[in-house]
Amino acid sequence: MATEDKSQTATEEVKVDLFEDDDEFEEFEINEEWDDKEEGTEGQQWEDDWDDDDVTDDFSLQLKRELESQPDKK
Amino acid sequence: MAYLSMGEAHRRVAEYLHRLSDAVSSQDVNSLNHLFSVSSNSPFLLSFADALNLLQDTNRLVKLADKSSQLGEIPLHLLTCFQNYRLGNLVDSYHAFEKFANAFIQEFRNWESAWALEALYVIAYELRILAERADRELASSGKSPEKLKGAGSFLMKVFGVLAGKGPKRVGALYVTCQLFKIYFKLGTVHLCRSVIRSIETARIFDFEEFPRRDKVTYMYYTGRLEVLNENFSAADRKLSYALEHCNPLRENNIRMILKYLIPVKLSIGILPSDWLLQRHNLVEYRDVVLALRRGDLRLLRQAVQEHEDRFLRSGVYLVLEKLELQVYQRLIKKIYIIQKQKDPSKAHQVKLEVIVKALKWLQLDMDVDEVECIISNLIYKDLIKGYFAHKSKVAVLSKQDPFPKLTYKNAV
Repeated sequence: MATEDKSQTATEEVKVDLFEDDDEFEEFEINEEWDDKEEGTEGQQWEDDWDDDDVTDDFSLQLKRELESQPDKK
Repeated sequence: MAYLSMGEAHRRVAEYLHRLSDAVSSQDVNSLNHLFSVSSNSPFLLSFADALNLLQDTNRLVKLADKSSQLGEIPLHLLTCFQNYRLGNLVDSYHAFEKFANAFIQEFRNWESAWALEALYVIAYELRILAERADRELASSGKSPEKLKGAGSFLMKVFGVLAGKGPKRVGALYVTCQLFKIYFKLGTVHLCRSVIRSIETARIFDFEEFPRRDKVTYMYYTGRLEVLNENFSAADRKLSYALEHCNPLRENNIRMILKYLIPVKLSIGILPSDWLLQRHNLVEYRDVVLALRRGDLRLLRQAVQEHEDRFLRSGVYLVLEKLELQVYQRLIKKIYIIQKQKDPSKAHQVKLEVIVKALKWLQLDMDVDEVECIISNLIYKDLIKGYFAHKSKVAVLSKQDPFPKLTYKNAV
């Protein structure tokens, strides 16, 4: 990223428009207070144990049919 | 503008100056915040600015209200700033505000207690906002927009004022967050580095001591930087912190955190639940998730392409592109399981042409050599355990744990 320094001056004029940060974090109020989220009130957020051996879903069944459609040529 | 008499105009200006000197002498930071919030357009400030423009000569006005001389040049620059702001001269307004800010930090430096810290927050915020508007004015008249960059340099100076041993140091993170917003907007994110180093290594700072609001913002931005640098494990830690501690009512902020955290989690095969995607309206990730579950390469490519603009702009495109390997892994795993059901003794031998066939079914035209290359890559990245029988064009999978779970080590 150090190379950006050099190119910076040349491209500066366009940058303000090009690099508009769409994801600028909204400003919190100076005295904004809140409670931490209570555990358990939210739905499940993440799944890390989904990669099972189940091949009964539509996609897998179609895949299976496809693979079996012709006997493998040796 | 309704008719305004000279007398009334004088009264309004005097009232502002009176409140200003009162707020300082009584250390009333709330009043000060209000008086400095140029861009808030509060009715009081607007009518004050109208009065200024009727009377025009700010210099004389300040002298008339000489009581405020204890504030040095602060009133003069503030008045000039409001005057220009109201007239829509945003560049001049910014200049005056920067001079005011400079005069203010001279005073602020001399105050031992941190009573005026919040007023400094307001100044840092206003400086950024006014600079953005000034730049828009400059750009529209064909001049080079440079005020936001200038505001960045100025805020570095403010950071220096706060980075000491005293009680004012807890304000350093707020200024840091304003700097991040400037650098991200200007596309000069490498400038974040020095201030991050200071926050994370200087002994005067204890991260836990900073206000929660600033800690959350800081973690959001540093998390985004880690995504850009492909440090996914650090990105996960920081963005998860931001998510966990963000005000739950700040829906937009939570959504923004997730926009970056989701691709990071996906890179090690952790999927966002459907509930999460729906709740925060992040439907652009729906098909990506489905593609991972299925092992559907075609769907992955479609899903990434469909929202290409969005993903490119937020800088997560490359992260998502790299999910392809995971999808291949999943597809080959499915083939392996299907074979296993048919004939367990031969399941661990996966013929390349079977994979070619499956890909063809997904309308992806690849030959045996290309598939061989992909499998080598999967083995190299530790997504598949096994070896390659080159002659017979067969991938021989390890009998134990042929499809290891991902970690951040092989996610890149």
